[in-house]
Amino acid sequence: MPTDVPTAPHVPLPASILSQGPNLIVSIHAALDDEQLERLQRDLLERVGRDRCRGILIDVAALDVLDSFAARTLADLAYMAQLRGARTVVVGIAPDVAMTLVRLGVRIPLTQTALDLEEGLEWLGT
Amino acid sequence: MASEAVRGDQPYDERVVVELVPVLRRVVGARIKDPHTVEDLVQETLARLMSSSRRVDPDKLHQYAAVTARHVVATYAERNDRARNRSHLLADPSDAPPPTEDLLLQEDREFVAAALERLSAEDRDLLVAHEVQGQDTTTMAAELGSTPGAVAARLSRARASLRVEYLLAAEAIDPPSDRCRPVLRALSSSDRRRQRELDASGHLLECETCSQLADRLFERRGQPAEDGVVRVPVSRDADVVTARQQGREVAARAGFSTSAQTLVATAISEISRNIVKFADRGEVAISLVTEDGRQGVRVVARDVGPGIADPDVALRDGYSTYHGLGLGLPGAKRLMDRFHLSSVPGEGTTVTMEKWLT
Ligand SMILES: [Zn+2]
Repeated sequence: MPTDVPTAPHVPLPASILSQGPNLIVSIHAALDDEQLERLQRDLLERVGRDRCRGILIDVAALDVLDSFAARTLADLAYMAQLRGARTVVVGIAPDVAMTLVRLGVRIPLTQTALDLEEGLEWLGT
Repeated sequence: MASEAVRGDQPYDERVVVELVPVLRRVVGARIKDPHTVEDLVQETLARLMSSSRRVDPDKLHQYAAVTARHVVATYAERNDRARNRSHLLADPSDAPPPTEDLLLQEDREFVAAALERLSAEDRDLLVAHEVQGQDTTTMAAELGSTPGAVAARLSRARASLRVEYLLAAEAIDPPSDRCRPVLRALSSSDRRRQRELDASGHLLECETCSQLADRLFERRGQPAEDGVVRVPVSRDADVVTARQQGREVAARAGFSTSAQTLVATAISEISRNIVKFADRGEVAISLVTEDGRQGVRVVARDVGPGIADPDVALRDGYSTYHGLGLGLPGAKRLMDRFHLSSVPGEGTTVTMEKWLT
């Protein structure tokens, strides 16, 4: 039986992307589903090409779950950005989340990580 | 789903739409008396159908149009107190007895008549005696050689069946299987023992029709059922997030530390993703359990999907990565204390996993 619910238009991502000098600073504000994670990945790669960025900093402190898909999407992003000349650093992984990633057996090289924003920016060399 | 979208962006043929007008007049006219309002609402329904981004199979269009008309009428009723008082039959899953007498007097008496027709003679007589002839339960109990309490319970079940039959009649739905009616009635009457006997939640996973009707009878998404089980229907990406958030809440209620909550939420995320990726739809049921005085959280994820031919192999690391499953199943297994996977190829997969407070 069909319902009259229209196909949902894309909800804006609960994340902000700011240009700061040669870097992109990405803040994720709320849980992302798989489709949104992939969209964020695409958006960022596009920005890297368009803005000629040298670095991407992704703040995931607001994420209470990083599962295998999210971890792999971030790792793939870092790899693809690197192929296009930008370095990626992920900051703000909560201790519980870090422990869970280890238990989960995520062995994919999870890019560069840093404790917080300052340390991340320092690593990017701003 | 695919068959409903085949016609792409093509607008409806005007003749098809014109043919709908009498159908819509009948559906709207059965609920609204004022002819001008009927005409307005018919036009509004047509406008909605024309502007809808979805194209519906011609043979389903009448049914779809009827549903749309009902929504238009319902929206109108919300703006209208008098009408709202009458539209409670479907909206009311609680024990508050629907004033069936009012219903019989109102516009949709033809649907009520059709619905009564489908009830057993006993149920029908009970309802008519109580709601129409105004007999009280004591009198009825005396006549039937029963007790007022037992009569009240039978009345409540009869009303629940009437709600189901009314919905089926009003929307011209023919349930696709013999199991549908018993399951819907058990759901409508909140009879959990009967629901278990019939494996109602299993049926809802298999049967698109009942699954949608159940959503109409109750707001099911993410709501805790009365027995404390939180059920989250899972069919798209966003549901994975809902399921794991509900899991975290249940784990928090069980007294789990935030890191244990994170383990549970992450394991749910992994197994729900498998449902979205490899099955049409499924359900994650999360409940609190106790064993030997210990508190735990149990998660049961079921789907209607292709199933897994060899669960032992699927749970091995490496296999799943190679087959695109990521770390899903073996990862979830590592996060939980107990993990069991059973699967029937061609039917579906059930994952049961538990985490216990230490
Ligand atoms: Zn059914």
